[in-house]
Amino acid sequence: MKRYVKGVGMTKFSVESRTTQDMAIEAISLALDDSNLNINDIEAVVVSTVDTKVNTERQRHYPAVLSSLLKRKMPIIRVPAVCGGGGAAFWTALRLKYNNILVIGVDNVLAGPTPIITKEIMNAGENLWEQEEGLNFPGQNALVAQQHMLKYGTTHDDLALISYKNHLHGSMNPKARFYGKKVTLEEIKKAPIIASPFNLYDCSISVNGAAAVVVSRDKTDIKVIGSALATDYLPPFERPDITTWQSSVEAGKKAFKEAGVEPSDIDVAEIHDAFTIVELISYEDLGFCKKGEGGKLVRDGYVNLDGKMPVNTSGGLKARGHPISPTGVAQIVEIVDQLRDRCGDRQVNNPKIGLTQNIGGAGGTATVHIFRKIAG
Amino acid sequence: MYIKGVGMTKFGISGKFSQMLAYEATLEALNDADINFKDIDAVVCSSLEWFFSIEKQRHFAALLASVFKTHKPIIRVPAACAGGGAALWVAQQLGYDNVLVVGVEKLMTCKSESITDEFMMAAESKWEQVEGLNFPGQNALVAQQYLEKYKKTTTEHLALISFKNHSNALLNPKARFYGRKVTLEEIKNSPIICSPLRLYDCSISVDGAAACVVTNEKTDIKIIGSDLCAEYLPTWEREDSLRWEGTIISSKNAFNQAGVEPSDIDVAEIHDAFTIVELIAYEDLGFCKKGEAYKKIEEGYFNLDGKMPVNTSGGLKAKGHPVSATGLAQIYEIVKQLRGEAKDRQVSKAKIGLAHNIGGAGGTVTCHILKKICG
Amino acid sequence: MAKIIRWICEKCNKKWIYPISRCLYCNGEIKKQIGMKIKVIGFTRIHIPCPPHPIVPYNVLLLEDEYGNRMPKKTIKDYNIGDTYEDIPSKEENAIAITKIKYDVYEAVKEALELIGDIEVDRTNKILIKPNLSIPGYPYLGIGTHPEVMRGLLRYLIERGANPKNITIAEQSFFFPFDKAIAKSRINQIVKEFGVNLVDLSKTEFIEKKEREFVFRVSKIVYDFDLIFNVPVIKTDMLLGIDGAFENLTRFLSKENFNEFVRDIKKAIGALAVLPNILPRFITIGDGTIGMQGNGPAEHGEPGFYNMIFAARNPVVHDKIVQEVLCLRRLPYVELAGKLGIGEYEVSKIKVIGNELDAVRRDIKQPIGSKLIKKD
Repeated sequence: MKRYVKGVGMTKFSVESRTTQDMAIEAISLALDDSNLNINDIEAVVVSTVDTKVNTERQRHYPAVLSSLLKRKMPIIRVPAVCGGGGAAFWTALRLKYNNILVIGVDNVLAGPTPIITKEIMNAGENLWEQEEGLNFPGQNALVAQQHMLKYGTTHDDLALISYKNHLHGSMNPKARFYGKKVTLEEIKKAPIIASPFNLYDCSISVNGAAAVVVSRDKTDIKVIGSALATDYLPPFERPDITTWQSSVEAGKKAFKEAGVEPSDIDVAEIHDAFTIVELISYEDLGFCKKGEGGKLVRDGYVNLDGKMPVNTSGGLKARGHPISPTGVAQIVEIVDQLRDRCGDRQVNNPKIGLTQNIGGAGGTATVHIFRKIAG
Repeated sequence: MYIKGVGMTKFGISGKFSQMLAYEATLEALNDADINFKDIDAVVCSSLEWFFSIEKQRHFAALLASVFKTHKPIIRVPAACAGGGAALWVAQQLGYDNVLVVGVEKLMTCKSESITDEFMMAAESKWEQVEGLNFPGQNALVAQQYLEKYKKTTTEHLALISFKNHSNALLNPKARFYGRKVTLEEIKNSPIICSPLRLYDCSISVDGAAACVVTNEKTDIKIIGSDLCAEYLPTWEREDSLRWEGTIISSKNAFNQAGVEPSDIDVAEIHDAFTIVELIAYEDLGFCKKGEAYKKIEEGYFNLDGKMPVNTSGGLKAKGHPVSATGLAQIYEIVKQLRGEAKDRQVSKAKIGLAHNIGGAGGTVTCHILKKICG
Repeated sequence: MAKIIRWICEKCNKKWIYPISRCLYCNGEIKKQIGMKIKVIGFTRIHIPCPPHPIVPYNVLLLEDEYGNRMPKKTIKDYNIGDTYEDIPSKEENAIAITKIKYDVYEAVKEALELIGDIEVDRTNKILIKPNLSIPGYPYLGIGTHPEVMRGLLRYLIERGANPKNITIAEQSFFFPFDKAIAKSRINQIVKEFGVNLVDLSKTEFIEKKEREFVFRVSKIVYDFDLIFNVPVIKTDMLLGIDGAFENLTRFLSKENFNEFVRDIKKAIGALAVLPNILPRFITIGDGTIGMQGNGPAEHGEPGFYNMIFAARNPVVHDKIVQEVLCLRRLPYVELAGKLGIGEYEVSKIKVIGNELDAVRRDIKQPIGSKLIKKD
């Protein structure tokens, strides 16, 4: 399956209140410009968006909305998967039989008071076993963090280092929510508790935004060499080991095998950090270090901007922002920008192979994609 | 690709949660396909997220992973009422050997005002919803335009379509109206919902699930044509609101892929969310010229004993319309007809069948053509 | 007495958190596995509220039983890792059990009755069950007592030795035909399934009973039974605040008698408060499987989705705690009954078992325009 990325584009992730149509048009125009294509060259569209009650859009039939917006009558499908929607949409688009497929993720999440948004995101957990017991999204991940700390000795300081790294990167990314805003390690450690042991700086920030990618069979400089999607039981407590997210493990293994590379070959990566613990566990699940040694990887500086394999140079979900569905696509935008040497202050030195990992909910769905820069 | 097996639950009011309905339909489909779940390579599901429901479930793909005890790839492809057809269209392109496609919906969990509100969200937000144009309303406007333009067609013809579907459902054990006789008088005298549409012009909301197994391996049912097309969301934004281009484009592509003509179709399941939708589809699919569907309806062309029976299952009107499961329930009926397993409602010598699934008021349309392979 | 339920396949040992009929892989039989020796293996303290969980901070514990099965549980009380988690049953008058339904209504009813000290029955007991079927409606709307609760209660009694021939379900409807109510609510199917008796109270003989200044005409058959279950469905009500234990008793009276009282509000409050005194002792099981919120059944109320079962030996305790859980204004007839010594009204003196009161409080749609409820 030979697929290439032609062009990418995304809006700035922010708290600005804009309609999804407005943000979608901006991201799509940027991606089409980057691909040097016209909207009439696109043969199919895969969109990812969640249907929330909190924004007043109330638009349940999004493919038809896009048809109206783009003034085209072609195959348009919607592939949502809560936070993993962007990755799942890209995974699906790679397999459709068309050429020049547009993948777009768009969401208007920040449109109501926080308790209502908390409840909306809580609906990604299991209804009677988790939601009725008050286990909202931070709570689910907090229980996982506590088990990891008990089992492997990870400390909250390790998690704070991840948050600090992502904020440092995000302050240099013009499209990030926290662009230009520096945050010190002290501020991170002293923040108020949200769901113990997480404090405010362990949790990713909800924003509005859109991101788009054009994928094609025509040869370009960015080749998709590995792509995999795997699922796991919805509630973490039902899995045999709460601290190992089987969906990441399986998707990672499949993607690496297809690409014919090892974890040590990856030059730059975008790893899902809905909460700092998720990034730490992902290091282990994807094979960048042994089980339980995620904390050590962070302390050694392996994943910093000047380390062996910089992670989340965009700022990650923590500092760039997490508008739910567009996240997975925004990760691809960052990796393509890194491989094409367009990242300015946060550019990694001459990267050749990049990886994105996108997780839905608390590990329910995971997608891993590997990209290679083709020279010449 | 080929279809190995199909399954569906009885459509009606069910006390079960949607994951249990999906499980039940899957058990039947796997049984029919004589395949173990171990051999399934991927799952494509279709279901919508509801605001007022008891379910509160947003991450259905992972919920299915929990219910099927698997880590295989599962994606969700919702598309308003065309979810089933869209899921089947995607499943064929994923490149796996055996794919399970399952559509499920649990609508009966709140009072009917809330259900009306939920359905209204498939219409355009600021142009239609705030003007009170709910789902029956959208289609009623189209109905009125049609009856104004083509004066030879009247509400009598719409009532005949409803009567045909109810007579067929009487013979279908899985249908909501199984065993419940409805007369033409009752249909013509039922209360007005959104003029000119009456109660018996509108499909009925139910809970239900349907599943099928598609495979690369040769079986007796081949999918010879499959296409999906999206269209402008509001019907009045289109050039001609009486020609639904989604149907026209997707069926043209499907017929081209299959290498057959509309006259080659022996039996069809046509989307009848409202009787007018079925009537317009007769024309858009190419079974008759624009404005002339009334002639074939009067002849009984589409009846069970006619030249090309349509909606032998009872259609959305009398079998029930669990939004995302409908498209796959249509596939279930066509497969049963082609295999000669439709019992009392069997169409004789059915070789080629067509399933036509519409989302919203024509926003997404899928068209599948199935052929019985002998030997 | 907390329980963790799993459904397991006898052949291949796969476990489910849902009640499935057959194993998908090996077609084996499914049986229930219930763990009762429960320990706390993790917890998180959550500081952010949302409408179903408005009181913060609260804890969510991660519990594990002797089989290695886990589940989350919401508490306000703090626990440490390694603590045993258990509920102590109580037979006292001022105790009420609240259990949450985990896809199995029978288990929730069984646990609720066990927590109020278990019920002893034998073949000779004559048992009366009084559901609320006053308005015909499908079970999913929460207008009448849910057939699953009736099924669970009947199973519980028959397993403990009751004789189905000695069990009677009795109810009447003041405004609708009795057969319609019985058919739509699916209770007639239950009667056939278990072989119990069904009585239309409006067709029985009524005898006069005096209490204070009130003259009641109550159905004679009530006094023929030695074990009575009052099974109301938890609904908010524009007139009475809630349709709970007290409201369900009104249909033991004749229709004319009922009409005398509702004409005068003060008389209605007084009569309702002392009604339990003229009846034999009964146990109240509150059906909160779905229930209703908003303006109640007659005025466009909507389903409540409470997912709970209440059980109490005293109706004052039951209705007071239901009022607290739904955060409603005080109910005058329950307060009056408390003052007259019919039951305990002080929340601090009521023992809530199974779930903590503050852990189950929730934000619901309030009944407005109530003629009976005064502002506090």
